[in-house]
Amino acid sequence: MDTDACTHPYPAGNSSVRRMAIDAGALGFGGIVIPGARPGEYHGVRIIPAIIISETDIRKVTGQIRKGGNGGALLLVDAGENGFNRAILAQKGVHGIRRVHRTPKNAFDHVAARLAAENGIAVDIDLSPLLQEKGIVRQKVLSRYNDLMRLYSRYHFPLTISSNACSVLDLRSPDEICLICTLFGMDEEDTGRALQTVGTLLSPADPVTVVP
Amino acid sequence: MRAKKRYILARIEPLQPDPDPKELYLAILESVTGLFGDAQAARMMPGVMTCGAGYTLIRCVRGYEVQLRIALLTLTSVAERRIALHPVATSGTMLALRRRIACMRPLCKETISPLHFRDRDYLARRYPGQKVDLLEKGIKRQELLFLTQDDLEET
Repeated sequence: MDTDACTHPYPAGNSSVRRMAIDAGALGFGGIVIPGARPGEYHGVRIIPAIIISETDIRKVTGQIRKGGNGGALLLVDAGENGFNRAILAQKGVHGIRRVHRTPKNAFDHVAARLAAENGIAVDIDLSPLLQEKGIVRQKVLSRYNDLMRLYSRYHFPLTISSNACSVLDLRSPDEICLICTLFGMDEEDTGRALQTVGTLLSPADPVTVVP
Repeated sequence: MRAKKRYILARIEPLQPDPDPKELYLAILESVTGLFGDAQAARMMPGVMTCGAGYTLIRCVRGYEVQLRIALLTLTSVAERRIALHPVATSGTMLALRRRIACMRPLCKETISPLHFRDRDYLARRYPGQKVDLLEKGIKRQELLFLTQDDLEET
């Protein structure tokens, strides 16, 4: 199931949850992640709730993880400095780290990449700056994603892709996302895998498999 | 020597009103230039052939169609109006794409009616199915909302 890892419907955006679901379904998504939404399904599109933690103090983040965990929602934490990111990536209950492109250049390094891979915590690729921004801002984001892909090719940590759409006009189909991701060297296979990561994060495979 | 061309059929959202072809051309050119630079835009030679009824046909030099499709995806506004282009098909002839448009179901069978929603007056465009687009009445800062019939019935 291809899933958009973060969208922002009304009141943050100008489209209702239902309209987002209809349009996402028409584009080929099986699910959309919405912060603070109620879990459900509309027109065959699964609505996955998320909790976004935007704190810079690790103790506050830990407290919020304890409060928000076990609710069936996707727990996403905004990335910060290098030490903060390493601490987050060692936390249990975190599903993903987002806004890596907004952090300093060395904030997500090879140690963080290895921690993300070991703990199965996804790193989110936000497509909105590639669509909304222009010039030097977009160039910087592309450069950060190129660095991220270099680390990904070595450590193979989970990736998610989010449109962070505030409107149905910001949604892009999985095929279109594949095209956009070629801008920073992400191939079609990796993009397809990244679009399916959300399902894996919510229902991870058991560590032990019983073979009859 | 004449360069071979490729044509891209793209769906326009929101369906109404259709953008002005010249403004759309300028927005596409800006998008291509912003993403790939002036030199690549000059080689690509993008052009808007037709625009209307929720679709547009865009031309480019053969070999640049993928780059043009990416540039179309990064286009978010035409003359300060929010818009999204979704490339549907690529072909070497306009005829093939026109046939394809004819085969697709018409997009613009909407009904327009005034609507009072959350203490404001809107113009509601209802499309077949559930979709309802609301455009606030007024001159300045017209709010655009994308809802469904269920949303309207709920409030």
